[in-house]
Amino acid sequence: MNNTAREAILGSIRSHLAASAPYDDQHELLVHHEHPVILSKISLVELFKQNVESVNAHCIITTDVTDALRQIIADLKARRIAISDDANVERWLRLTDLEIEKLGVVPDAQDIFRFDVGITTAQAAIAETGTLVLDSAHERHRLVSLVPPVHIAIVAASRIRETLSDALTLLQNTREISPTVTFITGPSRTADIELTLAIGVHGPQELYVIVNEST
Amino acid sequence: MNHLSSETFRENAKAALADAHLRGALKNATTLFGERRKQAAASLPNWEDLRTQARAIKDEVLLHLDRYLEEFVRNAESRGAKIHWARDAAEANSIICTLATGRGARVVVKSKSMTTEETHLNTALEAAGMQVVETDLGEYIIQLAEETPSHIIAPAIHKTRRQIADLFTAELGMVPTEDVAQLTSTARVTLRDRFAAADVGISGVNFGVAETGTIVIVENEGNIRLTTSLPRMHIALMGIEKVIPRFSDTDVFLKLLPRSGTGQRLTTYQSFITGIKRRATDEGPEELHIVLLDNGRSRMLAHPVTRQSLACIRCGACLNACPVYQQIGGHAYGSVYPGPIGAVITPQLMGIEKTSQLPYASSLCGACREVCPVKIDIPRLLLHLRGEITPRKGSLGERLAFKLWARVMMSPTLYKMSAVAGRLVQRIVPLSRAWTSGRDLRPIEARSFHDLWTNE
Repeated sequence: MNNTAREAILGSIRSHLAASAPYDDQHELLVHHEHPVILSKISLVELFKQNVESVNAHCIITTDVTDALRQIIADLKARRIAISDDANVERWLRLTDLEIEKLGVVPDAQDIFRFDVGITTAQAAIAETGTLVLDSAHERHRLVSLVPPVHIAIVAASRIRETLSDALTLLQNTREISPTVTFITGPSRTADIELTLAIGVHGPQELYVIVNEST
Repeated sequence: MNHLSSETFRENAKAALADAHLRGALKNATTLFGERRKQAAASLPNWEDLRTQARAIKDEVLLHLDRYLEEFVRNAESRGAKIHWARDAAEANSIICTLATGRGARVVVKSKSMTTEETHLNTALEAAGMQVVETDLGEYIIQLAEETPSHIIAPAIHKTRRQIADLFTAELGMVPTEDVAQLTSTARVTLRDRFAAADVGISGVNFGVAETGTIVIVENEGNIRLTTSLPRMHIALMGIEKVIPRFSDTDVFLKLLPRSGTGQRLTTYQSFITGIKRRATDEGPEELHIVLLDNGRSRMLAHPVTRQSLACIRCGACLNACPVYQQIGGHAYGSVYPGPIGAVITPQLMGIEKTSQLPYASSLCGACREVCPVKIDIPRLLLHLRGEITPRKGSLGERLAFKLWARVMMSPTLYKMSAVAGRLVQRIVPLSRAWTSGRDLRPIEARSFHDLWTNE
């Protein structure tokens, strides 16, 4: 059955395109010419921070990730913490010496709803938009970065790219493309009720980005 | 409640014009979205370049759609996705219902998808015994209210917070409040429970990358990520025109789509999903099904003018810019796709017979063409479609009037005389009621251009 539908649709595409041929020469197609774009001259880290903050997220630039983590978690009084399977995340968290009531490493779909904070790293970031790039082949991030009300993400300063285009190139150059790549720009938001901005509808209400300058 | 038909467009529009609340809401929404779009476009030095580039990419795809679709299918399948082909809405719904029932699904969560609105998927799933939950906040509100979307990207802009508060109080047992944060949080809590119970997640697709078999979905709320991450089965319904050739092409479209839609540089989340998980320990669904939908799209390839309709990326910018949409909103169009783009897509999808009023729902001012991120010449499409409508034989009076008009316009003397006569007559008789019932007729100036030219 499915083969019939496939052949019918492809056949319809071909015959309709053929029918269009006599008219096509009269319609000029748009031709694109590249024009170079000059972006801002301030440092990538600064530009990234500015743009992260412009979308209602927090940004901390530091050489001491443990200290930044300790501060954020203590301020939030968070006790139940979910983390991704990136080995550094667990190491940094242990070093904070904070009292943790419940620690979940990549909790499953049933368990994930019971945490106050989710911590992941990001494999890259985009300065011009304040975006984090999370790659499932490197780190199991999907639920930890999405379900808890607070998401803390740690990204190495050296992994910040200037443009969206640079980040896409980076993704494609790393061997086979991963099953899931997630771009995150700020906390979850909606304006579906009278166009009034509400932060934290389905995803995190708060996003903290720690830029690690020691790497 | 408001399931209107395209056949009664004129009456629908008249009713909408009389609804003061609706017009206020529309004015706020279209002005705000329009302003934000303008600022976002101005913030990029190469906006015009990007539009040209996006259109060139779309043209390239559409001229070789069979080839790019086959490439997309090959690459998605090689990474574990299952592909299904659906000639029309009924076939798509039947495929999706069979997949969901096969999973023993009782609860289905959905993220916002205009394509599933087009196929009326919810009705089909409910008939098959499933509970279908819309998870986008706006879609959730109108699902509870048993209404239909009135805007492509803001489905519930026609509802006030008061109405939404009443709805949540009645349907969800919420403690009455009109605080938007509270309303949002009520939806969050209620829907989390549904996400946890869902067996199947259904989404749309913004872009399908031929080169890698990747589907790209953009959003702000996080409900798409939940829909595509939590349930064991993910079904994505994708119009065949959503293919783009290369992974790097997502760059130009991700720059144009959010800026044109909401004025954001990027929406909060973009999910790039390529096949299924590779290792058993990975997160995410065990099955990914991509349903490719034709439903009248391949027909549009048959002429370069109509083919443009398939370049649309559903940003909603033309709705906000359109002086007709600004006054009457989405429901009056009586179709899933409203506004200028709806007026050209709907007749092509559903046939011109029942939708013949829609190509006239425009003053051909060209505002839609100006804002379209992929440079679709909507006015030209509207004219093309008007040309396909069987000409109606005018009444005797109408025919005589046009004959007379033709005579007058061909003779300078008669023309001058008629202008003089017109100035006199307009003081006594209200002219052409059919025209003036919906708009103002400007009075004829006391002195003609000719007159001014010769005397100064």
